Amino acid sequence: MTLAELVREDEYIWEVPEGTAPGMRVPGRIFLSDALMKYLEPGAIQQVANVATLPGIQRWSLAMPDVHTGYGFPIGGVAAFDATEGVLSPGGVGFDINCGTRLLATTLFKEEVEQRIDEFLAALFQAIPSGLGSKGPLRLSETELDNVFSSGAKWAVNHGYGDAKDLTHCESDGCLDGADPSKVSPLAKKRGKPQLGSLGSGNHFLEIQYVDQICERHAANLFGLKEEQVCIMLHSGSRGAGHQICTDYLKVFQGASRKYDIKLPDKQLACVPAESPEGRNYFGAMAAAANYAWTNRQMMSFWVRNVVEQKFGATATLVYDVAHNIAKLERHSVGEARKEVYVHRKGATRAFDKDSSYGIGQPVLIPGSMGTASYVLHGTKKAMTTTFGSTCHGAGRVLSRKAAKRSLTWKTVIENLRQKHITIKTDDLSAVPEEAPEAYKPIDEVIEVVSKLGISKAVARLAPIGVIKG
Amino acid sequence: MLKYEFVEHTADLTFKACGRDLNQLFENAAEALESTLVMLESVALRDTTTIEMTSDSCEDLLYDWLADLLVTFEVNRFAVKKCIVKIAGLSLNVECWGERIDPNKHILNTEVKAVTYHNLQIKKNNVYHAEVTLDV
Repeated sequence: MTLAELVREDEYIWEVPEGTAPGMRVPGRIFLSDALMKYLEPGAIQQVANVATLPGIQRWSLAMPDVHTGYGFPIGGVAAFDATEGVLSPGGVGFDINCGTRLLATTLFKEEVEQRIDEFLAALFQAIPSGLGSKGPLRLSETELDNVFSSGAKWAVNHGYGDAKDLTHCESDGCLDGADPSKVSPLAKKRGKPQLGSLGSGNHFLEIQYVDQICERHAANLFGLKEEQVCIMLHSGSRGAGHQICTDYLKVFQGASRKYDIKLPDKQLACVPAESPEGRNYFGAMAAAANYAWTNRQMMSFWVRNVVEQKFGATATLVYDVAHNIAKLERHSVGEARKEVYVHRKGATRAFDKDSSYGIGQPVLIPGSMGTASYVLHGTKKAMTTTFGSTCHGAGRVLSRKAAKRSLTWKTVIENLRQKHITIKTDDLSAVPEEAPEAYKPIDEVIEVVSKLGISKAVARLAPIGVIKG
Repeated sequence: MLKYEFVEHTADLTFKACGRDLNQLFENAAEALESTLVMLESVALRDTTTIEMTSDSCEDLLYDWLADLLVTFEVNRFAVKKCIVKIAGLSLNVECWGERIDPNKHILNTEVKAVTYHNLQIKKNNVYHAEVTLDV
């Protein structure tokens, strides 16, 4: 598949026409500026086309401007499937179910934190378990783990990790309906049990940031963000529990796809009718993993707050928490009709135009790469009509991990960060080049595309001063 | 013949493994996965474990084998340095050598979230080849 097959619809919309790949039921749409086109890989276009072949897909197979090649779905992919005639696909959610981002706004300002950044980072590093196979401090019983799967962030709040107001500042109030712990395998429970309350590794991180630019004053005021204010951003997911649930159901779905006579262009796209027993079981388990992830981030926020209070006598308020690997049952306009659809967001963020706690479009949190800016945006009406209420999820990779390691050393990356007055702490120096800014697209350009397209609007730009890389 | 090599994949980690027969292909794929998780030079051949399984197809068997190794690493905390694979039909029996993971002794590399089915296929010309993508 080549770039020549794309049809430009307007400045930021590129169509993958229906006949591009055999069996496409709808066209694809990729949102990119001219500047971002150079990063588009043929493999990602192919994956957008492959998703368009799945039964019950509505209107388009979409890719956000941070799109890049994934496995099955592209990263940055969004697809909505009819709730009764469509499918559920674990590959459209990913292994790290409800991998997501959370932002806490502190009462601190840049100047007071900068001078004590090493001490602050060290305390956070000690308070929050991170790295390969990292474990949380709790020893949960089977029953308590099931309660986590069923209740999500509410479980954490009920156990003293935050207050009830936090829940209204989480997507879906930090709990996805329909979770069924009995559909989670014993192995997934075994993997998840010791890891609750841990960051993990890879691209998961905790960042100390400050607001370096307010892009929309009214929304920033509502979200409680001011210039120079220090914020903490967390990026983590459902750890081994989610990974195993996806692995388990992919295996079940390999056979089930054949049973339901679904032709797959890629095994990783294995899917079943959403209404089938296998589909319902997957949704119950997937929602359980999503709830585990919200609990996980809620617990880590509690420890962040403790450090902020103990070190600085300050407080931190939860701005919002978003999922960017998830499938959700939502109502959307499809043509003239309002329909229930399963929206799969694989490396894409919900960007609804209304949020009951803030009274405007929901906060959208977009992390940049390590050492570059992150953004707070809000959702819009345009997202509801163009992208099933979705936007990008990050900068999007351009270099493979192998290429990043080949072209950069950890010493160079850390020195480059130091020159930008950014301190990093990690247990795994060798992996630092994989997350270097050079390995990602320019975040400012990605944000410009979603803002100009109108699928979300920038509220504030956050610059990092300290990073804990998982 | 190269046992395995890592190739470019933007999001994740992809390796190509080779073997003169399926047994050796599976052994080399295992080494590629384990070398991603831990620096194998730091692992001693101290203990053994046996893994047995049956799958629906050869590709599924490779997937299940690697997924099981991942669980062995994360849940049982056992790093496999060397293994002898015996495949009969769609079943395998593997004797694994390695040791229990000790963070003070072993140099851990990258956390692998899962093995994917992406482009997973086994091909044979002169030797057996497989391409496997790991979600990291």
